[in-house]
Amino acid sequence: MSEKLGKIADGLLHGKIDEVGELTQELINDGMDPEEILQKGLFAGMDVVGKKFRDCEMFIPEVLRSAKAMHAAMEKLRPVLSEESSSKAGTVIMVTVQGDLHDIGKNLAGMMMEGAGFNVIDMGIDRKTEDIVEMVKKEKPQILGLSALLTTTMPKMGEVINALKEAGIRDQVKVIVGGAPVTDDFAQEIGADAYAPNASIGTEKALELVKG
Amino acid sequence: MPKINQTIQTTPSFRVLSENQIEMIYSAALDVIQSTGARFHHEEALELFKNSEAVVTDGNLVRVPLSLVEKAIKCHPRKINLTGRTGKYKIKLEKDVVNFGTGSDLPFTYDRETGERRRTNYNDVVNAARIVDFLPNLDFFMSHGIVQDVPNPQVYDRHQFMAMLKGCTKPMVLTCVDGDGLKDLWKMASLFRGGEKEYRLEPLFVTYIEPISPLKNDKTAVEKLLFSAEKGIPCMYTPCPSSGATAPATMAGMLVQSLSETMMASVLTYLKNPGMPLIMGGVTTVLDMITTTYSYGAPELSLASAANTDISKWLGLPMFSTGGCTDSKVLDEQAAIESATSNFYAYLSGASLVHDVGYIDSGVNASLESLVMNDEIIGMIRQMGKGINTEDEYLALELIDKIGPGGEYLTSEHTLTHYKNWFQPRLQDRSDYETWVREGQKTMNDRIREETDRILKEHQPEPIDDKIQKELEQIIDAAEKRHSK
Repeated sequence: MSEKLGKIADGLLHGKIDEVGELTQELINDGMDPEEILQKGLFAGMDVVGKKFRDCEMFIPEVLRSAKAMHAAMEKLRPVLSEESSSKAGTVIMVTVQGDLHDIGKNLAGMMMEGAGFNVIDMGIDRKTEDIVEMVKKEKPQILGLSALLTTTMPKMGEVINALKEAGIRDQVKVIVGGAPVTDDFAQEIGADAYAPNASIGTEKALELVKG
Repeated sequence: MPKINQTIQTTPSFRVLSENQIEMIYSAALDVIQSTGARFHHEEALELFKNSEAVVTDGNLVRVPLSLVEKAIKCHPRKINLTGRTGKYKIKLEKDVVNFGTGSDLPFTYDRETGERRRTNYNDVVNAARIVDFLPNLDFFMSHGIVQDVPNPQVYDRHQFMAMLKGCTKPMVLTCVDGDGLKDLWKMASLFRGGEKEYRLEPLFVTYIEPISPLKNDKTAVEKLLFSAEKGIPCMYTPCPSSGATAPATMAGMLVQSLSETMMASVLTYLKNPGMPLIMGGVTTVLDMITTTYSYGAPELSLASAANTDISKWLGLPMFSTGGCTDSKVLDEQAAIESATSNFYAYLSGASLVHDVGYIDSGVNASLESLVMNDEIIGMIRQMGKGINTEDEYLALELIDKIGPGGEYLTSEHTLTHYKNWFQPRLQDRSDYETWVREGQKTMNDRIREETDRILKEHQPEPIDDKIQKELEQIIDAAEKRHSK
């Protein structure tokens, strides 16, 4: 069985989406502890991907293919994971705030987070503050990722955070903000938990925040 | 005796795409519009399409038969004249006349006092305007930075235009928040011409509008397009695809998609009111696959932009291209390399407006020094574009014979006449080493900084007439009041 774990890690590295999904299912069927599959197979493989990306040996398109393979594996694994394990790979809501239709940065960050094992719910673009708050209430995510490209729509991110406070659920979710005009100062000013200057840092911050 | 069967090339000649390749890209773009379509998030636009030969499905997905696309694209004027507020500066937007200018709306400015990056304010835009007003090789002005020290971001555009007008008398390209914003900017600009109809004869600005690639058009972009069509305001619909992320990773694929996006806008404005002056464009670049930065220094940006310019010339539309910009965070060697190469390529391509001169930090940070550096680069490039004159006076056969072996040309009348056509650098150093040491061992960066200081200290543009100033302020005040409700 441990040979299959190695194959999973290798499959992730080479972005073999179907193979990684199938192997994960096989190990679950074989009765391996889901936590072991997660740690020694999936996270082990994605750690190598992360390292190779930092060393400029892998580029975004390859990393995203690995992320897709991770996603395929997590689809199989998530239903059998213990509550404690699945919170390590928690839920993220990603959304572009109202008035803004730009989404490439948000989508990229979402895919990278899937690669890190998160369950990503994409609310899409141009979403009203109240819709975002409703979704947070309903899905109870660990992380809310807010995106805006325009200086004119950026203030909406602060509005969402205030609305979360008013709804009494601000402390139940960590908020990460990103987008070209956003800065660390701005993130602090509006009371966000973290600022993501790019998708991979966003993913790192999300992992830090769920670890607490 | 004059010769027959001669071809004289008065300037260098450059192209990226052959006519057959342009036809392939154009044909593919027609297919995209007819089969894939584009989304429009705007009710009136969807109504206009529904009442035409276009087909609207899935709520807002518009597909247009190519017969209508081809009708629309032929309706735009082949040239556009722009005149600055005082009438002193005029530019022509047409094939192979290359005008250089700034970009717009950078959220940050490099602070000259502290050396830090900070949020751009009103005064930064006035300063950029004054620099551009002075620099001889910059022909049009975009705001460089985005004014953020205003009470309501929804009316920033009116304040920004005021800052631009205050500092600069050259023609402009303007961004605006929405249709209402554009209406105010157009009213403000019309004041300098004494009326709306008069304004149409001598427009001061081009409206900058962009779709969201791939193939998406948001409400405010469409509002601006429709208002421009209604009033005949020159406008550009300029996609900003990042190859590999919001467009195909191949240059040809990115060009097909961009052209489809622009031609979709052409159809919409045709349905509203045919004949709007339309400028093609696009910041067609790559997403860096390590940093995910939308690159302003990539060679692919210049390559794709020059190819896009070939397409624009074939279509008979003026072109909005890109140059003089960089991914570097500061004005360093990287900034100089990327600025120079992109300016040169854009110039050779013959684009009508080359914008984003002075952008640093991948289109996020504004540098005044970069404008000053680029002015020198553009001066050099324009010199290289002059070509070689081969008439008798220039072949100088008589002179060579007269001076003879071992003679000198320094004291001849011919030299006195023709050396004046050379490029004389204002900032580059060509001195000998000893002189350079004696004069303080200044680097290019030092000289750029000093020149920037000098311009800011000395150059004042022609002021705005008091009466017009008041009327401009009234328009802005009214907008503030409307939006504070």
